[in-house]
Amino acid sequence: MRLGRVIGKVWAERKTESLRGCRLLLVQPLSSEGRHEGGPVVAADPQNIAGPGDRVVYVTNTDAVQAFASADPPVNASIVELVDSID
Amino acid sequence: MIFARVVGTVVATQKDENLNGLKLLLCREADHSGSLLNAYHVAVDAVQAGEGDFVLISYGSSARMTDVTRRAPVDAVIMAIVDDVQVAGSPQG
Repeated sequence: MRLGRVIGKVWAERKTESLRGCRLLLVQPLSSEGRHEGGPVVAADPQNIAGPGDRVVYVTNTDAVQAFASADPPVNASIVELVDSID
Repeated sequence: MIFARVVGTVVATQKDENLNGLKLLLCREADHSGSLLNAYHVAVDAVQAGEGDFVLISYGSSARMTDVTRRAPVDAVIMAIVDDVQVAGSPQG
């Protein structure tokens, strides 16, 4: 699981059926100290919980597929939690 | 998922039979702003993409998670055609 901040949205009207209604967000990966780690990634938001500015936890690859309850969509990253605070 | 621009078509007559009927597209990787990078990918098309389209490619085992690639030996699939990318202000830490 990785930490990131939502920095934007990806609009794609035409996508695979299993992703219909699911938002795709641009996420900047962060270190635990809040520093940028590499470039932004595209992550699905299966629970529709995140928006621009939010700090999130996301999972990658097969775990990203598992984050969807009802379908197995072709995704490499999925947001699974909103972060309130880090101690 | 990674951003890419479709730059061509790959035609292959002799191939694994599980690839029959799949359209293979040559894609050049890009960043979220559309700037092209120096990496190319051959990806199966799952969304009727065409040359010039700005697309999202899913890679690795996730690439088999579409109806067209379910049993195919592939590691990259075009699963969305990007209409727009909106970046909200400058990213903060």
